[in-house]
Amino acid sequence: MTVDDFRSGIDAASLDVGRRPDATTVRSAVVVPLRQIPPTYPNQRLSPERLHQIDRAFFGPFFREKYGTGGDKALENGRIRYYGPVQRANNAGELAGRRYVHEFDTMTGCTRGWHETLDRMGNVRQVRPERPDGVIGHYQFDSNGRYKGSW
Amino acid sequence: MEVDLQAVRRVFEDVLNGRMLREQADRWAYAVVQAEESGVVKYSPPRERERIWAGVMYLYGIDAMKAPNAYLHSNDDIREAMMASLGGVGDNLAGDDSAGTRAAVAMLEPLF
Repeated sequence: MTVDDFRSGIDAASLDVGRRPDATTVRSAVVVPLRQIPPTYPNQRLSPERLHQIDRAFFGPFFREKYGTGGDKALENGRIRYYGPVQRANNAGELAGRRYVHEFDTMTGCTRGWHETLDRMGNVRQVRPERPDGVIGHYQFDSNGRYKGSW
Repeated sequence: MEVDLQAVRRVFEDVLNGRMLREQADRWAYAVVQAEESGVVKYSPPRERERIWAGVMYLYGIDAMKAPNAYLHSNDDIREAMMASLGGVGDNLAGDDSAGTRAAVAMLEPLF
């Protein structure tokens, strides 16, 4: 089991931080000029590059501002991850800090989030998902991304 | 829900002074994030939205641990982050105006 296996296994609905991506558009009341991009056709599989292009034009201005100041990544499965800044830990040994990751599923509109703890090489060593039942767990991985255990 | 810089700073200070558990601060910030997702957060003043949000997003996850019973962040880390995201705001607070924050935290207390 790897870090990515773990993330994929988290039920998006159960970790839904907010299912209303349109809500931010209502709140912001900011006119964002949409870029001209070629149309997408039904059943057309989106490449990460294409997804990124759509994100930049439609979703990005809202999610990136809030959750993606540290960067973003379009995935093969139609999801986009927004990375927050790394919050430094100066006295945590090999661990460099943590960041919040917000994932938006462009197919369903669902979002989910988790905290990642990174080592000084940039590897994800812990994942702490946000669970609706309030139970907080830390899932540990070694420097090669292999699952070690949880508490 | 209205969130202002002083409220965020007060949560930082309460954590540093031991008046609030990190777990409580994390849940307070999580409640703000959820409210933001629902579009019901009002930032006061609106021009400080970015700083307020940066502070909230630091507090969200502030109870992360590096090992069982060992927090990832030291108090120095937290103090440094507070200064970076909030700067000197609140230095000129007149008296204790933390009632709003404490009321918000009180709403979360049944969680613990």
